[in-house]
Amino acid sequence: MRTPVIAAAAVMAVCLCGSFSFAEEDLNSRLNRLDAEVGKQTETIREQQKTIDDLKDRLNEQKPVESHVPEQSGKPTGLFGGSLMTNPYVSLVLDAKGYVSNLKNSELESRGVPGFTTEGRGLHNGFNIDAAELFLFAPVDPYFNLYVNIPINEEGVELEEAYFVTTSLPAGFQIKGGRFKSNTSRLNAQHPHAWDFADIALPYKAFLGSEGLGGENGVQFTWLPPLPVYTLLGIEVLQGDSNSLLFGKDDRWGPHAFSAFAKVSLDTSDNSTLYAGPWVLFGSTNSGSILPADEATGNTFNLRGDSALYGLEAVWKWKSGQQGVTVQGEYLYLVQNGDLTTSDPSGAPVSVERLKRHQDGAYIQALYRYGRWRAGARYDRLELFDDTFRVAGVQQQFSGKPWRATGSLEFNPTEFSTIRAQYTHDRSDPGGRVNNEGILQAIFTIGAHPAHTF
Amino acid sequence: MRNTMLAFTVLLSLTLASPAFAKLNVVATLPWIGSLAQEIGGNKVAVTTLVKPSQDPHFLEAKPSMILAARRADIVMYQGLDLEIGYLPIIIEQSRNPLIMPGRPGNLDCSRFVNVIEKHAVVERSMGDIHPLGNPHYNFSPVNVLRVAEGMTTVLAGLDRANAEAYRSNFKAFAARFEEKRKQWNRPDLKGKRYVAYHHYFEYLAADYGFGIAAYVEPKPGIPPSAAHIEKLVSDMRSSKPDGILVTPSYGLKEAEALSAKTGVKVIVLPQDVGAVKGSDTWFAFMDTVLAALR
Repeated sequence: MRTPVIAAAAVMAVCLCGSFSFAEEDLNSRLNRLDAEVGKQTETIREQQKTIDDLKDRLNEQKPVESHVPEQSGKPTGLFGGSLMTNPYVSLVLDAKGYVSNLKNSELESRGVPGFTTEGRGLHNGFNIDAAELFLFAPVDPYFNLYVNIPINEEGVELEEAYFVTTSLPAGFQIKGGRFKSNTSRLNAQHPHAWDFADIALPYKAFLGSEGLGGENGVQFTWLPPLPVYTLLGIEVLQGDSNSLLFGKDDRWGPHAFSAFAKVSLDTSDNSTLYAGPWVLFGSTNSGSILPADEATGNTFNLRGDSALYGLEAVWKWKSGQQGVTVQGEYLYLVQNGDLTTSDPSGAPVSVERLKRHQDGAYIQALYRYGRWRAGARYDRLELFDDTFRVAGVQQQFSGKPWRATGSLEFNPTEFSTIRAQYTHDRSDPGGRVNNEGILQAIFTIGAHPAHTF
Repeated sequence: MRNTMLAFTVLLSLTLASPAFAKLNVVATLPWIGSLAQEIGGNKVAVTTLVKPSQDPHFLEAKPSMILAARRADIVMYQGLDLEIGYLPIIIEQSRNPLIMPGRPGNLDCSRFVNVIEKHAVVERSMGDIHPLGNPHYNFSPVNVLRVAEGMTTVLAGLDRANAEAYRSNFKAFAARFEEKRKQWNRPDLKGKRYVAYHHYFEYLAADYGFGIAAYVEPKPGIPPSAAHIEKLVSDMRSSKPDGILVTPSYGLKEAEALSAKTGVKVIVLPQDVGAVKGSDTWFAFMDTVLAALR
């Protein structure tokens, strides 16, 4: 503001000086002329000032607004790890269990599901450490994110997952590759510490094993088309070597496990969401884990053939303030055909017979959360509609339909800690003894904040 | 099969040709950000807000519908400072939308325009659910929200150059209205007042309007109070007589009411976001409601 005042004064001084040369003129007319002159000059100054102001305004508009804001480069945004643990995102999850059962440890170890799997309970009376899972994540560059999951357990260190995910493919496409847990179903993709119960549902244990399909080497293609309703379509090509129950190591082929899935979801209200979809896992099987060794002869059994496991999952979630309800159910149906080789204890083949399996299973579970507490119930059973298990055309009898009933109560002091008490009445070995088991589970997470999938 | 394909094609072309595509698709995490985007974007943007006003922004899960919204977004705007850490990273990655990936102009962390308070040099989880980057609830701070609006304008103008003038003039109108409102908001003198708050929600408000928060009902952020903590708080409040217990409708209201019954100190329910209580449908109305309640 000071500049125009000085300028005006200077102009006036110049004018005044100039006027002295016309001393003989009439004082009045001179004054009038001076007034007019000054008025004109002032007008010019005003105009110039206006131009200056306009220019300043225009300059201000062009300047990026952030320029007066603290420089943001180097400041973590907080997303994708964020905070003080920026790169990579690191977290460790401890999953510890106390276990009590009316069965002896030796009985638990050999307790499979007859007609499905020879895998034992996997827990023993007393203290169990499931794993301390190390989780790493970081964007690789603007095109890929990388995830690594390394469970450390009593047997050692395992590379359960190590995969990249593309972030910059157009048109809603995404490729995931490396070693990963298949996304065919929610339960399969979740890590054990993220399950709603201390163990996996019975149909999973029976058809895939107690960790589901588990980490498999391979590649996944997914597509999220621009539809009004969330619809995710995916296919996977997997090596199939890691899962010893449904697929197993195959010396003839490379990738021999494949999956296809579709997930559809819509919000049933502001606070509730429905999520459902069919899936299929198929490929060639080479498994010695379906039937236990014959106690009398010591003979072992190995299946070589083809398998297709069909699934249909549905989840409904409601959440409002302190409370939440989740209802989830799934139906699985297995079709398996192949040659069952019987070998004597020395490993020499005794016989080869045709095996044909059509079996199914389902589970349904419901959870209710109130604040930091959560209660759950689950019922799972096998052989709902079909129990075909034929060797050389002869139906095998496995004494009854396996089922379990589970109840649980959880306390979550924060989202980083969970203490869960679970009771299961287990009749998954109908010919054997009933297993009444209690599990006290503690799950703790340190490190970066996990994001929660639906 | 042919009919299915035909139906699919029709559906797809309908989706692609819908007039919403002419507008810039803005996805905002929180209602106030959506409201601000609507003010600045006017009729040039279509805004989708992920979080409902009735929901508490601390306890959310990524829903597939949110992923679908992000799939169509030209820009995602969020509060930042780790407030959305539990769900936004998944939404962004699962959206399969390159435009909104971190580092792209379509990924707008609104907190970058804010003078953040309560930054913690030393942080560990024993301190509760603390936000190491600072207090994220800056939507209560008029000065900071103006800066966000200004920054949002620049980003929108850069992203959609054809409509840059419209965004700038909308911002001018916003800023003019802001000046008018600011005089009103300064009128009730809150200086020197002392409140008890349930959660660390109102620190920006306290800093801007010069009132104090004497104590918190939560012993640590995100940790519900124990009986012993409440007992001590009750006796403190009986002797110190604070001017009110500040709480939001969705987070800690019951506890605050119980505390009020024991101490006679009134509960002041403030919306945590635009639309969380009746008559707070824009950010201006939200601030009006907040300050009227404090008066």
